[in-house]
Amino acid sequence: MASFEPRDPATLEEQRRYLRDGLVDVACDACAARVGVRKNSEQHTSIQWTLQSVALCKVFAARDQTPGRRDVHRSCPNMMASVDAAVRDGDVSVGAVDGY
Amino acid sequence: MSDTRMLDHGSTPLRYARGWHCLGLAADFSDGKPHAIHGFGTKLVVWADSSGELNVLDGFCRHMGGDLTQGEVKGDEVACPFHDWQWGGDGRCKQIPYARRVPMRARTKRYETAVVNGQLMIWNDPEGSAADRDILPPELPGVLTDEYTPWSWHVKEINGSHCRELIDNVADMAHFYYVHFAFPTSFRNIFEGHTATQFMESKGRPDKSEGGYSGEDSTLRSEATYYGPAYMINWLEVDYKGFVTEVILINCHIPTGPDSFTLQYAISVKKPEGIDDKTVDYIADAYTKSFGDGFLQDVAIWENKVAVQNPLLCEEDGPVYQLRRWYEQFYVDVADVRPEMTDRFEFEVDTTRANEYWHAEVAENLAKRAAEDPAAPAEV
Ligand code: FES
Ligand SMILES: [Fe+2]
Repeated sequence: MASFEPRDPATLEEQRRYLRDGLVDVACDACAARVGVRKNSEQHTSIQWTLQSVALCKVFAARDQTPGRRDVHRSCPNMMASVDAAVRDGDVSVGAVDGY
Repeated sequence: MSDTRMLDHGSTPLRYARGWHCLGLAADFSDGKPHAIHGFGTKLVVWADSSGELNVLDGFCRHMGGDLTQGEVKGDEVACPFHDWQWGGDGRCKQIPYARRVPMRARTKRYETAVVNGQLMIWNDPEGSAADRDILPPELPGVLTDEYTPWSWHVKEINGSHCRELIDNVADMAHFYYVHFAFPTSFRNIFEGHTATQFMESKGRPDKSEGGYSGEDSTLRSEATYYGPAYMINWLEVDYKGFVTEVILINCHIPTGPDSFTLQYAISVKKPEGIDDKTVDYIADAYTKSFGDGFLQDVAIWENKVAVQNPLLCEEDGPVYQLRRWYEQFYVDVADVRPEMTDRFEFEVDTTRANEYWHAEVAENLAKRAAEDPAAPAEV
């Protein structure tokens, strides 16, 4: 059934650019989880998990899983450390493309 | 070919979101009368039966289309004002007093209900699935007890905008400066499953005083989570001159048409220790007013903007495309929900460059003001 449909085919290209471009695969140093990472700048980080990687993460598994939990905004510190290391090692480059 | 960028307005979905929607405070429907709520392209009738259970049906009688919201509650049923057909909360016509029997097919559209935190929720699904009670918003400990002020509930009709405009706010860092007059110092988003969270720390702009986020003396720590497409709980810690208040803000809506919705918001304030009730009420009223003004700041934008399917982003913007991808899960059949719509996604917005610029701009505004009015404080 029709949802929010773009009228211009170029919009699909934009969606791909913002949703998928530049994601680099990073593995966690502490578990088997892998995520897609993009860094537009020092402070910016974009992390795409999958259902499988969330299930593999030990830190998430140890957290309260009830639907109303309030720690959702906290990331996994192991994964964040692994991302920082990947940036330091140059595996994930830092910088935006055409302003984003 | 020209390089001019065109706005793609896209098309609005022909359906209303699947999920829990809040109709209002349960107590407001419990007076033994039928109540009308506009929603999902129709009018709903809400009433309490003799056991106090709340029922929600399509508001129009399946006999000849009478308006049940203008009828009467008779026993457990709602009776139509036109010919007195009497409808039960299960959607069946129980009685037609002037008829020998009730046609078997006398069944109308009913909505499954739940009461959470004293609020009436209903399940909407164009596919007609059974309500998923596992994804109801959480109960808030302490709310509706003496520890918190009672909900103050507010309703605002919005015309000319799809409710996705309201959702977009979740990822919109910069509008907090321009529309709500705050410096967002930290801004993160997490989308996962049926929830979308915004985490923000902000400081009020000293050159503005309108709305709940502004003012040089206020600092704010805010966690806001959408539970499904239409119901957000926002936990706020507001620090005003070192005095911290915990405020819970509910921001929910009911879509009424393809480009209109009813915005509802509610506030409950945790009563600070050692403060008398009168002062507590005063504080609660002040927050209700200021966050209410905050919504009006958004409304003014929505009422004048156009829909954009292809927003152009800069590096300092939040993850609008990912947020919309998350939101789309509620507008497709369950079988068409793609993993990427619900997969966990985390985004930290870079607020450094923006805040440098904004602090300079505000300093300039204050200097200008001081020059125009030498009595005003010059520097902050
Ligand atoms: S239209 Fe409702 S009873 Fe006839
Ligand atoms: Fe806003």
